[in-house]
Amino acid sequence: MRNPFIISLLALAVMLLLSLAIGSVFIPPAELWRTLSGAGSNETFRTILWDIRLPRTVLVAMVGAALAGSGAAYQGLFRNPLADPYLIGVASGAGLGAILAMSIHWPYTTLGLLAVPLAAFIASLLTVYLVYTFAHIGGSVPTTNLILAGVAVSSFATSLTSFLMMRSTGELRRAIGWLLGGVSLVSWDATLTLIPYLAIGLTALVLNGYALNLLQFGDDQATQMGLNVRRAKFIIIVAASLVTAAAVSFAGIIGFVGLVVPHVARIWWGVDYRRLIPLSILGGASALLLADVLARIVMAPQELPVGIVTALAGAPFFLWVLRRAKNQGTW
Amino acid sequence: MFRKTIYLTLLLALLLTGCGPAATPTEAAVPAPTELPATDAVSAAPTASDAMTLTDGLGRTVVLNGTAQRIISMAPSITEILFAVGAGDQVVGRDQFSDYPAANVTDIGATYEALNTELIVSLKPDLIITAEINSPEQVQTLENLGLTVYYLKNPTTIEEMYGDMEFLAQLTGHEAEAAAAIESLKKRVAAVDEKIMPLSSRISVFYEVYGTDPAKPFTAGKGTFITLLIERAGGYNIASDIDGYPQLSLEQVVAADPAFIILGDAKFGTTPESIPQRPGWANLSAVKNGQVVPFNDDLISRPGPRMVDGLEELAKLLRPELFK
Repeated sequence: MRNPFIISLLALAVMLLLSLAIGSVFIPPAELWRTLSGAGSNETFRTILWDIRLPRTVLVAMVGAALAGSGAAYQGLFRNPLADPYLIGVASGAGLGAILAMSIHWPYTTLGLLAVPLAAFIASLLTVYLVYTFAHIGGSVPTTNLILAGVAVSSFATSLTSFLMMRSTGELRRAIGWLLGGVSLVSWDATLTLIPYLAIGLTALVLNGYALNLLQFGDDQATQMGLNVRRAKFIIIVAASLVTAAAVSFAGIIGFVGLVVPHVARIWWGVDYRRLIPLSILGGASALLLADVLARIVMAPQELPVGIVTALAGAPFFLWVLRRAKNQGTW
Repeated sequence: MFRKTIYLTLLLALLLTGCGPAATPTEAAVPAPTELPATDAVSAAPTASDAMTLTDGLGRTVVLNGTAQRIISMAPSITEILFAVGAGDQVVGRDQFSDYPAANVTDIGATYEALNTELIVSLKPDLIITAEINSPEQVQTLENLGLTVYYLKNPTTIEEMYGDMEFLAQLTGHEAEAAAAIESLKKRVAAVDEKIMPLSSRISVFYEVYGTDPAKPFTAGKGTFITLLIERAGGYNIASDIDGYPQLSLEQVVAADPAFIILGDAKFGTTPESIPQRPGWANLSAVKNGQVVPFNDDLISRPGPRMVDGLEELAKLLRPELFK
């Protein structure tokens, strides 16, 4: 069995290269190498590569990593194959925050331009906090309660969002564009801002791989095996939500990556969360990079929102996974 | 049983959270209100000094060295104004909805959140002009790429639109042509005004912006150019006391019983023949008298020189006896 990490890293490298090489403007491969190494003479190519494609590639890879990593963590935490990073309200909260921010005309200053992602970020964390609080029973947070509270709060936030969108018809296009997942309004600022959140959150998730393994046996068993269940759950939820909220704030709501990538990793390389989390992270980056490349070339010069591509490709794949699980009896 | 409940609940969660936001209409749900009049107070026509250091609609300072020769227009209204003042040859790129006038200019794609920045950069523009349908984030993205962007606020009156024409003419070096174009537009508007102003009665109108749900059609209200032009053409918009683009219930339309029904959604396939077939619409006076008319919404929703065309069309519609 070949080393999964090597395969994942290779796949990631290929995707990174593809993402840099493909776009609506054709850059011949020779020029590509020259411009990347700084020796290029074409100003246009340089702007396209360094100011457009590179920050976008890095951002997409990070968002994919974040979504898949937190998706794997949630699937382990809730012990359920249908869990995705948006289960306990991050997406709906972020959507509500973003749409609320869009209905105000902010001044064109650094802070004003940060208003929408900031509002999305804060709102999504608030939503998770709300869900967590509702799900509390005595000293523990049963996963069923988390899910149910997540469903309730999410539907509330989503309907509020739809209502706001109906009311402010002037901002409707902007809102829909955001909600469908748009990674083209990127700059180095956005990309660099994202790094600390992802670094902290994803590291925390990777370190909790063993805890997730123990949690598969159930809360009581895990406690008996020496795990501080309450603390572990708390850390995992916080880390995963932080990472997802940050990703969603800059890239809108991209679905199916967080759901499907961990499943693929699980089928190929087993259920050990110590490996599954980092492999999902790498796989998620590759998967979203691929989706982004497709989004750019399928309908050029128009760009499809990435969220549409992931859903269109992810849904059939997910159904296939379900059928396989049914045949095998397990997931 | 417990397991089943969880799976069901999770499936529900998936549908609600995962698909919820994405289930909102992806086609242009309310297509017509692409240009909303500026909501801030004073918006006098921006002036350009000789050195061409300008302050745009977002308060940004924009520096232009000489007249702009390679312009990308990000909104249909901007495109129409540029061509109207004679600067059509200086336009190298336009957004996908700029369909008038028909010209061989590179289409840069949609201007929803996702901009095709690579194509824009490769066109090497020296000026990009955006309107209010473009977001500040888009302006910032283009600015970050080192491009010169000017954000033109929407005009709120026809006279302010003349100001925009003069301004864009100054940016492109076509002042004389613009002046001539504006003169002829003013004459046409005056011709409508002198016949409409003396009239004491106004004809009630329902302007349908979007009617896929005939029980709750979308219309335009206070503060929109649609209401402005309808009133200037001697009409009265039955929705003119509500802000923005409200969704009226059919009951309100029936209660107001307008003399005319103008179908601004004609370009989406709504025909006057389909109106009597809508449940509850057949008894409206306008329908019974055959006063249901299709209308080219572009003439009224794009704040450019074709608004004068729209005004004349409306005037001819409402007062055919005065405008042969």
